[in-house]
Amino acid sequence: MIKTAFNRKFLLRELVHGWRHSLLFVLCVMLSLMTMSALNSFKDGVNRSVFRDARQLQGGDIILHSHYPLSPGLTDKVALLKERDQSIASTMIHEFYSVVRSAGRQSTLLADIKVVDEHFPLYGKVELGSGGQLRERLQPGTTIVAEDVLTRLGLERGDVLQIGSGGLRIVDTVVHESDSPVSVLNFGPRVFVAAADLDVIDLVGKGSRIKYEMLLALPEGSDLQAVAAGLRDEAIAGQERVNTFREEGSGVKRFFDNLLFFLSLIAIFTLLLAGLGMQSCLTALIRQKQETIAVVRSVGAGTAFLYRHYVCMVLGLGLVGALLGLGAGVALAHALPMLFRGLIPVQGTTSVAMVDLGEGLLLGLTVVLLFTFLPLYRLRNIKPVAIFRKENVSSRRDGVFYLTIVIAAAAIAVLITAQLEDTRLGLLFTAAVLAFIAAISLVANLLVKMALRLNLQTLSLRQALRSMTRAGNASRSVIITLASALSLLFVIYLMEHTLHDTYIESYPANAPNLFSLDIQPDQRQGFVEFFEEKPQLFPIIRARLQAINGEAINRSEELRKKRDNFAREFNLTYRDGLLEDEQLQEGESLFTGAGSGDMLDVSILDTVAQMGDIDMGDVLLFNIQGVEVEARVVSIRTRTKSKLYPFFYFVFPGDTLRDAPQTFFSAVNMEKDKIAALQSRIVERYPNISFINISETAEDLEVLMGKLSRIVNFFASFSMAAGGLILVSSILATRLERTREAVYYKILGGRKSFVYRVFLYENSLIGVFSAGVALVVAHTGSWALCRYFFEIEYIPYVSATATLVLATVFLVVFVGLLSSLSIVRQKPARFLRENGGG
Amino acid sequence: MNILETQDITKLYTIGERQIAVVDRVSLQVKEGEFVVITGSSGSGKTTLLTLLSGLDRPTSGKIFLAGEDITSFNEDQLAEIRNMTTGFVFQDFHLVPSLNALENVMFPAELAGDERAAERARSLLERVGLWQRSHNFPEQLSGGEKQRVALCRALVNTPPILFADEPTGNLDSRNSREIVSLLLEMQRESNTTLVMATHSPEIAALAERILNLHDGRLVKEREDHPAEERGGMEAKEIRLQH
Repeated sequence: MIKTAFNRKFLLRELVHGWRHSLLFVLCVMLSLMTMSALNSFKDGVNRSVFRDARQLQGGDIILHSHYPLSPGLTDKVALLKERDQSIASTMIHEFYSVVRSAGRQSTLLADIKVVDEHFPLYGKVELGSGGQLRERLQPGTTIVAEDVLTRLGLERGDVLQIGSGGLRIVDTVVHESDSPVSVLNFGPRVFVAAADLDVIDLVGKGSRIKYEMLLALPEGSDLQAVAAGLRDEAIAGQERVNTFREEGSGVKRFFDNLLFFLSLIAIFTLLLAGLGMQSCLTALIRQKQETIAVVRSVGAGTAFLYRHYVCMVLGLGLVGALLGLGAGVALAHALPMLFRGLIPVQGTTSVAMVDLGEGLLLGLTVVLLFTFLPLYRLRNIKPVAIFRKENVSSRRDGVFYLTIVIAAAAIAVLITAQLEDTRLGLLFTAAVLAFIAAISLVANLLVKMALRLNLQTLSLRQALRSMTRAGNASRSVIITLASALSLLFVIYLMEHTLHDTYIESYPANAPNLFSLDIQPDQRQGFVEFFEEKPQLFPIIRARLQAINGEAINRSEELRKKRDNFAREFNLTYRDGLLEDEQLQEGESLFTGAGSGDMLDVSILDTVAQMGDIDMGDVLLFNIQGVEVEARVVSIRTRTKSKLYPFFYFVFPGDTLRDAPQTFFSAVNMEKDKIAALQSRIVERYPNISFINISETAEDLEVLMGKLSRIVNFFASFSMAAGGLILVSSILATRLERTREAVYYKILGGRKSFVYRVFLYENSLIGVFSAGVALVVAHTGSWALCRYFFEIEYIPYVSATATLVLATVFLVVFVGLLSSLSIVRQKPARFLRENGGG
Repeated sequence: MNILETQDITKLYTIGERQIAVVDRVSLQVKEGEFVVITGSSGSGKTTLLTLLSGLDRPTSGKIFLAGEDITSFNEDQLAEIRNMTTGFVFQDFHLVPSLNALENVMFPAELAGDERAAERARSLLERVGLWQRSHNFPEQLSGGEKQRVALCRALVNTPPILFADEPTGNLDSRNSREIVSLLLEMQRESNTTLVMATHSPEIAALAERILNLHDGRLVKEREDHPAEERGGMEAKEIRLQH
């Protein structure tokens, strides 16, 4: 038995001799940590610099929110509080969308108007182009706008901007708002108006959909919960919301949380793939070292000696990879703001803090040990007799193998859960990844089995197929890994294009492209006169659904639902017939005519029926701005087209709601170039009317989608890189077998071109299978997303799919052949001299 | 007529700063249909000489004429063609392609040559060596003797005019050794193939028409024109009797 505990030279020799495997191993560790640490650093950076202070993000300690003027009870309570404690500050905000225009010009723009008083902002800061204070700059008769307003309307500071009925002079520009850090989710650029001008612009009170918000700033140490509870008692349930800044959600933060969470999932996916790469590299190294290990054991080295050196080697390489990965990750995190440009203010995230080095290293070494345990454990299987027997001992499977798999899977689940900071989601994601990999493995195995049954006439092709199943060949692992990464990229590609083509490219030429909102009843006649062909006007009555069959709607439970829910306000309408794109799914006619004053008839859309499990005959209780109305479901409609036609969940008979408070909505199709001029003319006469110009909105949506898909593709490309590393490591793992085959081909008379052809076909087959499996999974996923999530038509994109397959095959062949060049060049005599066996 | 001729071939290997002549100025001629054995102790250069003669490797100097052509001037692909059509090789370690079954291994050189009757010829050879029943078995499922019989069939599938064998019984037990040598000689005689075999077995060498003895890479002794009736001795008779 060797008495030396540690032989540095042995370790160095092993490392130097297997430098290719070591390099790949380091790259795998680096890749896994780089993606993870970059994303974590960036996430921390975003949270610190963009959402650093929830109080700033919300703008106050307590937020009162409503879509109606705040009730007297609530405002009185606030007044009482302020009277009792003079240090309580408050500010009132009116926020709404409206069309603004340049005075005397034809250009119009849908803007996000925020009317604020002299106390705004209570917390945070509104940065202005001049560097001045909002309170000082925003005086009655003036306005402060986003730079985009000036650019798009061709205005300059000092010009007058028409907002509603008034003209306000532009005195400054907005650079950044702490309570609205990103503008990506807003439909229009910001326009600040002083509260004193609310009457001047005359947009409130004529049916515009306004967000009424009162923000309160309480003295330090106040019991926010108690104050909020007191205010909540006075608020109208279901209409007015009272929250502390901690309770109030932020749409922007939710959006980024979701995006960064999704990117975290991709990073974890990359980590798992890179982990497989590490395992593959180490297996390849040990296979290459099998004879050396057997010789070392035959001269007296024990298992402990081998474990000491190999664990040391793995940890050393892991440490190098982890340090490189952390370094590259931090560098990448600094570059990420460029990628997110347009979504997040770049200057807000450049000061990304270094991740905790110790935590990062620990994560790296844990990942390394998790994924290398199995190949290390198998060291004990290499007996001295392996000198004589050339069999591959590293593929033997025993109880410990299966136990290790289970423990490793559990450890990975823990790792994922810790990373996602959510046990349920962590377990769900682990299960989903396992199911995903299982599905891909199943499809890959089926494909390989089917291919092996083919009776191929071409010798080189047949050989390539056989080579894929050579002993120890990691073809299946390579296919599974590549297919997993490709599936993700393919789904993103397919969905991006499907959404583009459905909503933008193939938007029917005759479909409505200008939606006019908030038309008052007395404006109907005047409004339709603007059009050559009178547009149809749809009445809109805002109401809440209070109960279904006597069972009250649980609003807090509804709000927890990810998708549409019954907690929100609905737009009801009334008419006597079906629209062109509607069909009856249930019921013989839209209405029975049996409805009376106490119980009206109502027709519902199939989607809302599914949402609440509502059936024919069910009784719905609505609250129409304070008045309760009961209605029985007498028909269920469905839509024949999934376009942007106006649709209503609840339709009442023509004469029933005619007297309810209502506005009107129109959807018209007109030439794109004429929209701006028409908007301008209408707004001049009816400033309260808002528009949605589909052409503009679609362009904005496309830009946003493009940005998001670029970000996701960027992160998914790391998964692809992991797949590439696995491919190279698998070639290294089977290097001896490949070389042996190449030599045999040559001995038996095969030319170099034949050997190249075999490798070419083999790599092409791996590429085709990987792409094939990915396509099956991606198209299935894409179909499911289209069918069940977006509810749009699934498009197969045959030519794009073919291009993706070709690109994948080209990449795999390129990487595969590059790694096989030295194998093909091997001289037969030299190989035979150096390697026996067969 | 000589099917194989060498002129002063030398093969040098560089080990560290030293150059070692593994084959040193060897000149020889082999006639068509002749059975020549190369003997010598371990490390004498038998295998290296065989790899040079069969076109698996190139000499450092000298010339090799195989079937009338100077193969030392051939490029890799021309050598590959010579190996496919003119020579067959039986190795001590069998060297069967692991991913192919027995039948496919035998067919392989014929398929490379574009022979449409590859399967038929392979079948006939496997039947001849009694392995047709095992034709769909992969090398790992065959015994040593079976592997070597498959390798012999593979070497002969293109009916090459010259067959090289490097210690073909080196990894076999005595029973399998006798069977393989017996088969090898029978098939060689049937097709009048030239056979050049490296061995250090005196019993097998005794069966040869001519024995070339190598020592430190140099041809030191040659026993020529050994009449057929004088060849063999007890071992050879035993082989014939057993078959």
